[in-house]
Amino acid sequence: MDRRAYVRRQRDAFGRRSLAVLPVHHPKPLLTALDLLAVELWGPPGPPRSDAAGRLQTYVCAVARNALAFLAGGHADVVDGALFPHTCDALQGLATLATDLGGWSKPAFTFQHPRGDDRPSARAYVRAELRSLAGALAPLAGRAVDDGRLAWALRLHADIDAARAALLGGRARLRMTDPELYAVLRRGEWLWPEEHLAELRAAAAALAPAPVQEGVPVLVTGYVPEPAGILAALNDAGAYVAADDYAAVGRRIPRPPLDSGRASAAYARGERDVKEGSATQARPLSPTGGEGRGEGAPRDPWAALVDWYFSFPPCPTRGPDQAARMRHLVSLAERSGARGVLVHVQKFCEPELFDVPAIRRTFEARGLPVVVVEGELERELSAQAATRVEAFAEMLRAGGRAA
Amino acid sequence: MILRRVQYELAGRAVGPLLLRLEAWQRARARRGRAGRPSPFGPPLEATRKLKELMSLHYLQGRWADGAVPVAWVTSGFPVELLRPLGFHVVYPENHAAMCGVQRLVPELSDAVEREGYSRDLCSYPRSDLGSIATGKTPAGRLPRPDLLACCTNICQTVLYWYRALAERFGVPLVLVDAPFVYGEAPPHHAAYVRDQLEEAVRVAERVAGRRVDPHELVEVTRRAKEGARLWGECLATSRARPAPWTGFDGFFHMAPIVALRGSEACNAYYRLLLDELRDRVARGVGGVREERHRLLWDNLPMWYAVRELSTLLAERGFSFVAASYTSAWAEAGVQVDPSDPYGSAARAYTHVVLNQDLRHRLDGLRRLAADYACDGAILHSDRSCKPYSIGQVDLRERLAAELGIRVLLLEADHGDPRAWAREPGENRLAAFMEGFA
Repeated sequence: MDRRAYVRRQRDAFGRRSLAVLPVHHPKPLLTALDLLAVELWGPPGPPRSDAAGRLQTYVCAVARNALAFLAGGHADVVDGALFPHTCDALQGLATLATDLGGWSKPAFTFQHPRGDDRPSARAYVRAELRSLAGALAPLAGRAVDDGRLAWALRLHADIDAARAALLGGRARLRMTDPELYAVLRRGEWLWPEEHLAELRAAAAALAPAPVQEGVPVLVTGYVPEPAGILAALNDAGAYVAADDYAAVGRRIPRPPLDSGRASAAYARGERDVKEGSATQARPLSPTGGEGRGEGAPRDPWAALVDWYFSFPPCPTRGPDQAARMRHLVSLAERSGARGVLVHVQKFCEPELFDVPAIRRTFEARGLPVVVVEGELERELSAQAATRVEAFAEMLRAGGRAA
Repeated sequence: MILRRVQYELAGRAVGPLLLRLEAWQRARARRGRAGRPSPFGPPLEATRKLKELMSLHYLQGRWADGAVPVAWVTSGFPVELLRPLGFHVVYPENHAAMCGVQRLVPELSDAVEREGYSRDLCSYPRSDLGSIATGKTPAGRLPRPDLLACCTNICQTVLYWYRALAERFGVPLVLVDAPFVYGEAPPHHAAYVRDQLEEAVRVAERVAGRRVDPHELVEVTRRAKEGARLWGECLATSRARPAPWTGFDGFFHMAPIVALRGSEACNAYYRLLLDELRDRVARGVGGVREERHRLLWDNLPMWYAVRELSTLLAERGFSFVAASYTSAWAEAGVQVDPSDPYGSAARAYTHVVLNQDLRHRLDGLRRLAADYACDGAILHSDRSCKPYSIGQVDLRERLAAELGIRVLLLEADHGDPRAWAREPGENRLAAFMEGFA
């Protein structure tokens, strides 16, 4: 179904209002608790949809330029507002450009998530920021958040995260191509969460008891799997995504929350290694327990939401610890049996580009070949990029190792 | 350790000053008897010699800092007042990268890190800095190894990515002060968050330095930082006079102490000296440009490698840069610190730097500068390396031109990497821009 039609149907059938949400990290359970439909805006890919892209210089990433063109061209008018998470300089600039100097006249909201370690200041701040956002969204939603509904939303999203984790973690046992799998996963960017959960569970029914994928397993890391043709190219070349670290996908599936007291104390001591938890990808957050309460005891859903925020895998848009990210990537590669690493970056995307040398060093030291494919949010994968992916997969199939 | 400390103190107090005096004497001797070339600029500022001494001494002493005193590498927007009472020798990689830009070292340094996989699309400051670490090449002779990295995101998020790479490389603690962007008014929980982080950062810094912050010393450093920012602001304000006693391009170099030595008495003493000279030039009608006919506003960082050639091109036609949003930023934020509340006021001041505020604020600031300094034109440097500064400039150009009736040029280049500056087409655009004033 077309997204616009879906948004209209949600409004007509359920009275549900909707928000365009810019990448990457945003408090989706909070939006769900407010009965707001989140429709994520990753560009969209392809040529800009209006001349407004020219208001941003060509050295600004295509995600921001295309989003400005989309919003200013009236293509998002079906939604009732827009939420701009504080992801990077480009999206931060887009938020003020579109709302202060023209391009988006409907209600605009910001979610300025903290950067840095899990520390007392960040926990207090994110709680206040979430409360502030909830208060700002309430008039649009036509309702305030109550604890019971927030707890329900957290449980719902925990189930979604568990299902997504099961699909990605069991990738080798899944009878789906990568384009098929990612189509299901990415429909969560705009479907109402309960519908998305149903689709995920249906997909998970296809998990076989033993591995069925015959291609070469690859770890993929990057911003967003666009153009989707990169996945098809990978499959066509005899490889598949065995582990996912896309900001849009794998990096948004929580890991078990850290003990906040331990992390905070370590921060005060200036230790940098404590943040990496068990490095288990995608175990869902339990809606109970934590923050000094006994496991299973009822707890403050706002505290659970804060825990949820701090439970994601390392992402350069959020955290200062590059070593923690490298350990996480190594762990992903080891558990999935990946034989190579595909780094899929968007041109001018500073958070991702800064980590490329460390990724290269990390995996080449372990004998795992790395290929970097850079794109500009094209609608179709370029022939040049497809050739790189094919050559990489061919080299892996032939048993290639990094020098 | 003791020997190292002796070397450090000697470099700062005896050897450094001696070497600098010798170098100055050699330069003066070489100049003697040489006929001066005709210049479109007014007589050079006497204070420039002192500026060179001050900054050279800072970097010279830095060569012996590691092992002698704790060393912190700090972003320009970090509240350094909080580190000074702990005795840190502070290095500003941005300032160092600007020096690399002036000396046109960036392509070579960048090539070194591009080979490691860093993209040329990344800001040229970190490329220069990381390249300098990789190659050992630096105009400063040698940079001391850091014991602490201190980063504040109020100027851009790039510094966060840059410093996390440094932390990985050096294996030292990184304290991060995350400053939420200000859309309109900053809500109270944002200020509280920054304040809390400052206190957390100081605890880490204390552990690294092995001593506690003396509250009295903190008050004194904060007072000096505020005074330094005030003095710097007054130096800039002298350009409201006609002719402006110096150019905005001069300002780019003379801002080094307020960036790198903020909170020190040496910084303030320097600006008192500079201010006296500028006021004297105003009183005598001496301009930074010999024949000032048009007054311009500059937005964004300078093109460090082309400051002299651009300023000459403009000055030859009577154009003087009298105001710059970049140099003004250091005066605006610094005066907001309050010695009676070092943490709370630093949180407010450092959250409200120009790059951490929305485009309405940017536009208001540019309008105000253009009006206060009676500018009849503006050049907005569309800087490939500085996205937070450059995003919005297309709209700012149109608004400034329409609302103020001034000519505005958007000029694309890069603050550090000359490979991004198309010199011929760029100078053609400048020539056409200037012809429009005739």
